Amino acid sequence: MKKKYTVIDTPVHNIDGIAKVTGRAKYTFDVTLPNMLHGKILRSPHPHAKILNIDTSKAEALNGVKAVVTGKDTLGVKQGIWRRYKELCDEEILARSKVRYIGEPVAAVAAVDEDTAEEALDLIEVEYELLQGVFEPLEAIKEGAPQLHEHAERNINVTRHIEWGDVEKGFKKADYVREDWFRCSSQAHVCMETHGAVASFIPEGKLTVWTSTQSHYYIQVLLAGVLDLKENDIRVISRYTGGGFGSKFELDSAQFCSSLLSMKLCKPVKIILTREEEFMATKRRTPMFYYVRAGVKKDGTFLAKEARVFTEGGAYTAMGATALYLTGFFQTFPYVWPSYRYDGYRVYTNTAPTSAMRGFGAPQATFTAETQIDLIADELGIDPIEIRRKNGMYPGYEVPGQAYIQSCGLSQCLDKIEDWVKSRGKLPPNRGIGIAAYGFMSGGIFNWFDTPYAFSSALVQVNIDGKVDLYIGSQDMGQGSNTTMAMICAEELGVHVEDIRLHMGDTDKCPVDLGAWGSRETLMQGNAVKRAAAEAKRQIMEFAVAKMAPNIVYDLDIKDRWVHLIARPERGLSYYDVVKEAIRGKDGQPIIARGHYTPHRKGMISPAYSFGVQAVEAEVEPETGKITLKHCATAHDCGQVINPLGVKGQLEGAIAMAAGYGFTEDLPMDEGKILNPNLVDYKLLRATEMPETEVVEVETYEPEGPFGAKEAGEGLTNPTAGALSNAVYHATGVSIKDLPITPEKVLEALREKNEKKEK
Amino acid sequence: MIRDFNYLRASTVKEALDLLEQHKDDYKIICGGQSLLILMRQGLVAPEYLIDIKNIKGLNTINFDRKNGLRIGATTTHRAVEKSPLIKKHYSVLLDMEENLASIQTRNWGTVGGNLAHGDPAGDPGPVFIALNAAVKMANKERERTLPLEEFFIDYFETALEEGELLLEVQMPIPPPKTATVYEKFNIIKNELGIVSVAASITLDENGLSCKDARVVLGAAAPTPKRAKKAEQMLVGQTLDEKLLDKVSEKASQEADPIADIHATEAYRRSMVKALAGKMVKKAWEQAKTSA
Ligand SMILES: Cc1cc2nc3c(=O)[nH]c(=O)nc-3n(C[C@H](O)[C@H](O)[C@H](O)COP(=O)(O)OP(=O)(O)OC[C@H]3O[C@@H](n4cnc5c(N)ncnc54)[C@H](O)[C@@H]3O)c2cc1C
Repeated sequence: MKKKYTVIDTPVHNIDGIAKVTGRAKYTFDVTLPNMLHGKILRSPHPHAKILNIDTSKAEALNGVKAVVTGKDTLGVKQGIWRRYKELCDEEILARSKVRYIGEPVAAVAAVDEDTAEEALDLIEVEYELLQGVFEPLEAIKEGAPQLHEHAERNINVTRHIEWGDVEKGFKKADYVREDWFRCSSQAHVCMETHGAVASFIPEGKLTVWTSTQSHYYIQVLLAGVLDLKENDIRVISRYTGGGFGSKFELDSAQFCSSLLSMKLCKPVKIILTREEEFMATKRRTPMFYYVRAGVKKDGTFLAKEARVFTEGGAYTAMGATALYLTGFFQTFPYVWPSYRYDGYRVYTNTAPTSAMRGFGAPQATFTAETQIDLIADELGIDPIEIRRKNGMYPGYEVPGQAYIQSCGLSQCLDKIEDWVKSRGKLPPNRGIGIAAYGFMSGGIFNWFDTPYAFSSALVQVNIDGKVDLYIGSQDMGQGSNTTMAMICAEELGVHVEDIRLHMGDTDKCPVDLGAWGSRETLMQGNAVKRAAAEAKRQIMEFAVAKMAPNIVYDLDIKDRWVHLIARPERGLSYYDVVKEAIRGKDGQPIIARGHYTPHRKGMISPAYSFGVQAVEAEVEPETGKITLKHCATAHDCGQVINPLGVKGQLEGAIAMAAGYGFTEDLPMDEGKILNPNLVDYKLLRATEMPETEVVEVETYEPEGPFGAKEAGEGLTNPTAGALSNAVYHATGVSIKDLPITPEKVLEALREKNEKKEK
Repeated sequence: MIRDFNYLRASTVKEALDLLEQHKDDYKIICGGQSLLILMRQGLVAPEYLIDIKNIKGLNTINFDRKNGLRIGATTTHRAVEKSPLIKKHYSVLLDMEENLASIQTRNWGTVGGNLAHGDPAGDPGPVFIALNAAVKMANKERERTLPLEEFFIDYFETALEEGELLLEVQMPIPPPKTATVYEKFNIIKNELGIVSVAASITLDENGLSCKDARVVLGAAAPTPKRAKKAEQMLVGQTLDEKLLDKVSEKASQEADPIADIHATEAYRRSMVKALAGKMVKKAWEQAKTSA
């Protein structure tokens, strides 16, 4: 079969790969400037306390210390990404009068080296008046609980309501109704590169910040807001980012404190957070208490669903309000529920703030929904695939008032996973296969500031030798979007990936894109890149018209560096020659083209949705409750695949992360203190725990995406916890509704089950 | 942050003992640094002097002979134990243990002496060596002494090593005929410290029918590696059957004295001792039957 494309749909190695593996790639940690100072941040040891006084004199007197800043040195701006919703901007970063979680910054020091800075922290005397703390959302929401913020009675931070259809009627019609309570645990992002920044302010009033971020644009804008500088007097550089997973698109303490200190000293200041700080104070996945009630017909048809969620907000809003909305929205995914009612409450607690993390509320929704669906199917004697097939979303379905689904490969995914499950044959004892179906957004339609809609832009410059400069605003944090953008540009323009020189990660050079969150880059930045490349191509083809005499310019195309007549591809000219002539004819001016994208009028959430089904085969040891992952097969509908290697990489990373969420990772606390803020006690999966993984191919086309592409990023983290819990259920007959599914919980449930049997 | 310290390096045992004596009040011995550096980074240990023994001649050794059995010098790395043909041939349980102990990077640096001296009840070598009836040789400037390893562990992270004393080697006798020793730890992530572990050593009579001697040693199930002596006694003189195994497991779990922490509750640790003890005794028993 002749391939439709010359660049995309072919495995391409990450274009940053060689720089990374040879150590040439400069991360924030590697940035060193002349006269650079080192900063450290003093953090609150108390979960809830008033700051009565901070005495920095001893620290300032220490030899080698250059400056100390506290909340008093700030503008006192309560900041946050919610610039269109002022009341949600509630975090000062350097607390002025009150601390609300252990790890909250109260002062920062710049000194000649790290050791001196750290020594100085010990010399800062903070006088606290301890306040009673509250640590659980279900406690914090009670009348009379200690209140964190003056404006938030009963500590209610945000509420969300979603409703469609007649829920009561739906339940009345139902033959079977079940309700379950679930607890979804927290999770740390554990980026390989911790948060960090090098800030350099010069007397002329310009600030440059090198930092590890998912959005240099957001950091630029947010910094401007707290430093009283114009946005473009701040330059944010983030060429390489060592992982983000949702933890790096808010303004963080390293960025803010290094900037403050640098502005005070007119010298560069570097702050790199330690792993412990990273665990304590860089946000985390939102724990959720979930109540789900579902009503279905005897034949498995879904009728009505009701969900209520209390999320542990931690001390501040962060991005948590979005997680609260998305979890409610994705609770119904990827199914048609004729009626649905959701009420979500985000509750402030004296714990580290919870925020965005890969999946953004959807993994919790998928875990609870998919676990419950298997319990329903079992009760009604329906096959798990069958019940999903019966109720699945389909192309053209409209989620009432919320979203319009264009492409949807769910039924294809179910068919393929059904085949895979059959191919596993009869399983040995204590083994089970669990499946979970899911979907996710390809970028959020919403934006949090400046405009209500998300947007993205790109710039293409074709030089006289045919080489292409591509300027993008998106951020590659390891997910491979740089490679994806270079591929989209090369495909559209008709050149090779090697012809593209990429410019990214620098607010001084790059057109604006909102950054890497909500799985938006492939679709949104991809569309902008594709449009810019198409416009550049059109300009190039204009010059070929004279020589090739087509009827109109659109009878021409460029592929594989060959400008040709579409109808007679052998008739053509070298792309290099055409470009050279064209630019010579323009007195050497390069060919420049812009492209942009905004998902205006595309519903409330996203212009396009990925779909998928994952099957996890697990073994449970009955004596210990220990779970071993054996296999994992995933059929993921991401529309047209741009880079098959990229999808595979995203899938494997997602499984490691999501399986960790499912059965080993957690952030246990005692009165707000995280008990495992290190990589010995925090249980990340390793290669030895990874199951065999398989990508099961499906073919779909998304009209809204570049070349038909959709997301393959966060969506892949949604199914695993649910599939795992279902696998455990099918292996043992016990269903664990409390994440993570530890051996201890499994063993306890097995014991209870056996006791019941004996009775 | 690691506090500043003075770094001293010894190249002979004598030199090391002199340095220990000289800085008696405020030193720490460092060998591979795998355990110590974590504590120093967390600020839990901040010695004035760090005395490095890694390069001492003659302590990085593995010797075996038919008369004295196995001797492992204190500075021998885990990786060297794992790679030793002698150990593979005569003490394969140690190879099994090492292959599941930490990562290769940690095994390349961490040493047998450092592991024991650290006194972590979750360490793997402790229970296995005790099952193999090991003794440790220690010295200070004045004298040398040898102690059964069982008596070496005193409490959480506390051993019999005194100020000024250096651990020199671990000694294991030749196991009696018809003996087998096995070990397993229970963990969620492979090669991490165990939630609990059990080593078992079974010696059968010459006919390979009844148990002549038994050692059942629990790891991470008490403040120190701990022999489940009552469980051991239940085995002596008996022949193998499932009922006996159940009773022995139950007894071992009663003898455990585990803590609760974020990785497991006390009750779960006891259940895991129970699950592992019977399994290990059975496995050792079956291997003993076929051993010389
Ligand atoms: C990530 C990680 C995973 C690990 N996993 C495991 C595991 O699964 N199982 C396991 O058993 N262990 C495990 N360990 C512990 C590891 O085995 C020990 O850290 C190592 O064996 C200690 O040896 P060392 O030479 O590095 O000791 P050091 O760190 O140098 O010293 C440890 C302690 O012993 C003292 N000391 C060292 N040598 C002597 C001596 N000759 N005489 C007197 N005192 C001495 C030191 O003063 C110090 O107090 C792990 C460690 C790490 C870092």
